[in-house]
Amino acid sequence: MKPSLNWVGKRVKRIDGPEKVTGELKYMTDYHFENMVWGKVLRAKYPYARIHSIQTEKARQLPGVICVLTHEDIPGFNGFGIVIPDQPVLASDIVRCTGDAVALVAAETQEIAEQALRLIEVDYELLEAITDAELAMSSSAPKLHPDGNIHSHVKIINGDTDAAFKEADIIIENTFYSPRQMHAFIETEGGWGVMDDEGLITIRCPGQYAYRDRMQIARALAYNPELIRVISSPIGGAFGGKDEITVQIYLALLAMYTNGRPVKIHLSREESVIAGIKRHPFKVQMRTAAKKDGTLLANEVRAVADTGAYASLGGAVIALAIEHSCGPYKIPNVNLEGFCVYTNNGISGAFRGFGVNQVCIGIETHLDMIAEQLELDPVEIRKKNVYHQGDISSMGHVVKTSVGTFKTLEIAENCDLWKNRSQFKKEVSEPWKKRGVALATSFHGIGMGIGLPDYGAASIELLPNGKFLVAVGCEEIGGGNGTTYAQIAAEILNCDISKIKVVQGDTSKTLDGGTVTASRSTYTGGRAVAAAAPKMIKLLTSAAAEILQVPLSDIIVQRDCLTAKEESLTYKAIYEYLYIHHKPAKVEGHFLLPKEKVEIKGSGGAPHHLYGYLTHVVMVEVDTLTGETDVLRVVSIPDAGKVINPQGLEGQAEGGAVMGIGYTLYEDVIIEEGFHKTKNFTDYIIPTIRETPVIETFPVEDAEQTGPFGAKGIGEVVMIPIIPAIMSAIYDATGARIYHLPATPERIFNALKDVKNKMPNIQGDKNDE
Amino acid sequence: MLISEMDIITPQTVNDCLLILSKKETEHRIIAGGTDAVVRMKEGKWLPSTWINIKGLKELRYIKEINGTIHIGPLITHTDIIHSSLLQKKANILVEAAREVGAIQMQNMGTIGGNIGTASPAGDTIPALYVLNAAVELQSLHNKRLIPINLLFTGPGRTVIKPNEMITNIIIQPQTENEIGIFQKLGPRKAQSISIVNVAIMLSMAKDRECLGGKIAFGSVAPTIIRAKKCEALLPLNPLTDDIIENIAKIAWKEVMPITDGRATAEYRRDMASALLERGLYRLMRRWERK
Ligand SMILES: Cc1cc2nc3c(=O)[nH]c(=O)nc-3n(C[C@H](O)[C@H](O)[C@H](O)COP(=O)(O)OP(=O)(O)OC[C@H]3O[C@@H](n4cnc5c(N)ncnc54)[C@H](O)[C@@H]3O)c2cc1C
Repeated sequence: MKPSLNWVGKRVKRIDGPEKVTGELKYMTDYHFENMVWGKVLRAKYPYARIHSIQTEKARQLPGVICVLTHEDIPGFNGFGIVIPDQPVLASDIVRCTGDAVALVAAETQEIAEQALRLIEVDYELLEAITDAELAMSSSAPKLHPDGNIHSHVKIINGDTDAAFKEADIIIENTFYSPRQMHAFIETEGGWGVMDDEGLITIRCPGQYAYRDRMQIARALAYNPELIRVISSPIGGAFGGKDEITVQIYLALLAMYTNGRPVKIHLSREESVIAGIKRHPFKVQMRTAAKKDGTLLANEVRAVADTGAYASLGGAVIALAIEHSCGPYKIPNVNLEGFCVYTNNGISGAFRGFGVNQVCIGIETHLDMIAEQLELDPVEIRKKNVYHQGDISSMGHVVKTSVGTFKTLEIAENCDLWKNRSQFKKEVSEPWKKRGVALATSFHGIGMGIGLPDYGAASIELLPNGKFLVAVGCEEIGGGNGTTYAQIAAEILNCDISKIKVVQGDTSKTLDGGTVTASRSTYTGGRAVAAAAPKMIKLLTSAAAEILQVPLSDIIVQRDCLTAKEESLTYKAIYEYLYIHHKPAKVEGHFLLPKEKVEIKGSGGAPHHLYGYLTHVVMVEVDTLTGETDVLRVVSIPDAGKVINPQGLEGQAEGGAVMGIGYTLYEDVIIEEGFHKTKNFTDYIIPTIRETPVIETFPVEDAEQTGPFGAKGIGEVVMIPIIPAIMSAIYDATGARIYHLPATPERIFNALKDVKNKMPNIQGDKNDE
Repeated sequence: MLISEMDIITPQTVNDCLLILSKKETEHRIIAGGTDAVVRMKEGKWLPSTWINIKGLKELRYIKEINGTIHIGPLITHTDIIHSSLLQKKANILVEAAREVGAIQMQNMGTIGGNIGTASPAGDTIPALYVLNAAVELQSLHNKRLIPINLLFTGPGRTVIKPNEMITNIIIQPQTENEIGIFQKLGPRKAQSISIVNVAIMLSMAKDRECLGGKIAFGSVAPTIIRAKKCEALLPLNPLTDDIIENIAKIAWKEVMPITDGRATAEYRRDMASALLERGLYRLMRRWERK
């Protein structure tokens, strides 16, 4: 029999909800300090140019300017980057994109700082920008980095694709293009830096891994990391865009020159568009073979990712993309290849989905095309090909952990939208509108792949007021992981959730527990809390036994107190005892993520031990006169393992769906010849509430034994299958397929025109309806 | 000009305002709701030494019916327009256009005078003003003139308004019983978006689908708002059946001369002129039949 749970699995309100909805919470960029100064960054004027000289004299002389710094003022290593530090903190000899930082200014006001930037004279020699990833790969292209323009190359071969394609009954081949999506967080990159008399540097800057940010700062400053405190939480949104260093090193550098005055940098939206990291645009060529009965035989993939001027996490993105490029299916013969390529187009890096979005559109579209040609049901063809727990995936490894895909497909097939789709499709509001319903499924690895150490850590401390302070490194990025930690702690400690305080993302208060990325923070942080909590119980019970002078076995952990026979002890009483006797009141929990033992050859880190799965069903309505597309309904069916907080899961499912809608229909940062055509939210179109459909969430709870209470991770896959689902629904509605995202009204209109031109006889049909 | 060195003057009366405008020493610009002005200031495009803040001039915030015409003060906000029962009844097309401006926040702050003053070819209330035969009253300290809306704009962002003048009134012809109007907008999304193409259509109807005549004004397809005179000429020839609507709409692309920009290509804009006209006429006929 399952023990009943008090907190886990319940719709527990966000512990940080009230302060966020009332606006009481201050984000780090909301702070203003007395005596503060403003920092500004001079960005490169050209996407690719040699720097001959940088003159800062005039800027320094401007009244109100406190300091002007260039590469010469960097005490340590002039570079940063999570995997390889190929991005200069401040450019010295060359700029490779218009986001490159060339100089820093601190001044009394923002305006003076801006003026000072204009007074810095940089002598550039223009070089011809490389803006096409395929061209950048050619041997004749100038090398942007010493090792050439191919930053990474992954290749997975399994089975014999040549033979499989020969025996195939059906072969589908297409090329897909995906956009440069922007994270569009509400809080642009920014924060504070200050250095005190003792040389302690404090950086308050939203980030996704305070400890790693600290190491990157230390490397650039050649400074003892122990003397650097990074506070990285809370965050006004990140989605991967604050995984890499944003402005932390600039803040630290400036703080060394402002005589103890706090310095603030807060990027304008325009600067964030240019300098901030984006999602990699991909070109994906895919060729898929199947048998007459719909069994997938082979898949060939060639994906090229434009990582822009610097690597950041580009290598990992392309590796994850290739690992996921065949979907959650068992395709016996695969030949998969991915390239991560340098160009002069901004910088791409981590973004929710991490490469899976771009490849998922290929395999899911191909499944639908195969199903259509073979007259198979889209659910059936997927059910036929998905792998189950214990099966061998397309990567060739045995999937030992929980796999919920089949169950998500069963729910999809039985949901109202899918079952009654032919009725819904008829209910168009105007005769030129067409509706379509489609579904798609995908998955996403949880945690880091092979080769990257992955661990979680948490501490729990009993406080003087009888509450528990749960400290986890993973930042509160907006998703509500803090509430999850509180639920897990309250569950195990058997106390009311109001007794739990949570602190996150602060190197002086939390242990190093890895990133808040890779759909890992509930799973990893939660497991770490679950590892610490029993230790706290042990601490409490032994203290109680000493206080009450009874054997340990007599102590019972009751709700909010500990008892033995007739006597009861509050947490506060226990704290007092510990305090008087100088005993520790803090425990730690550590957790090492389980990993696969054998790396798939050439994969750059595959497979993951654990994946989250999800199926989306969507209905769209296309205005065939204009090409405008409305997503009307979404059903999201995640396999998250045990759901710790249904409300939190729905938040992720709904936010993810809307982000997926934005990716599919609206969003793209357009860069031409290395210059941004997209400037800000005037021309970067994200969905508003009026583009937000009805979204239903039906979780499948395929419990994962290694997770806290059986939980997995879900933060990324929630935005993935909806992308091909919308594309297929547009096809279902109109007969037009889109291969180039975003599917703007103009692209859809042109695709509709092509369909019409191929079928000259349908003219006049409209009036007969 | 640094933003911190700019002045703001807030005149208490229209006369005060005209007096300030008449002075030539400073380079000044009017700010009403500021929804265009502040954006352009931040972009470094509008950097006057003095802002003349007229948002508080109550005298310029009115909607009234005078001798068979409707007078609208320039400080009327889009929200005012949406809530005006007079306009709902007699200039419904302007109400529809105002509803399409940005989103609620913009509608609360933005004014009709500002929409005209910005003179964007994509300004949403302007096509509606065209088909309502609007005339714009311009006042300077010693002078007052009335300019028909189609002669007000000289190009994108440019008007015949002189530096010493301001808009003090917008006079429109109310819709009659048998006149029906519709505003159609195509933007990159449903809210907070700049028109790719927009169109205001006003028809004068006889019985059934017989049309006595009409006016069609397109936005965002030429340097200024333009009337589609050929399409207009075809309106009364035949009853507006769905077939005829499609045929008339096909002509529209010939009447526009759009450009390619970040929002759309010229080609798509052309096609959309036809599409919006078709959609608009079709919807109008449905409405007419339900009336
Ligand atoms: C997010 C956003 C979305 C928007 N969406 C739309 C949209 O969908 N459709 C649309 O049409 N517009 C849109 N706009 C533009 C803007 O909101 C409108 O044009 C609005 O009507 C401008 O009015 P305002 O009072 O704010 O003008 P202001 O910014 O105050 O002034 C604009 C110009 O008009 C001049 N002016 C103002 N009043 C007078 C007067 N009485 N006499 C002479 N000159 C005057 C000013 O000097 C200035 O040059 C949007 C703006 C933003 C920021």
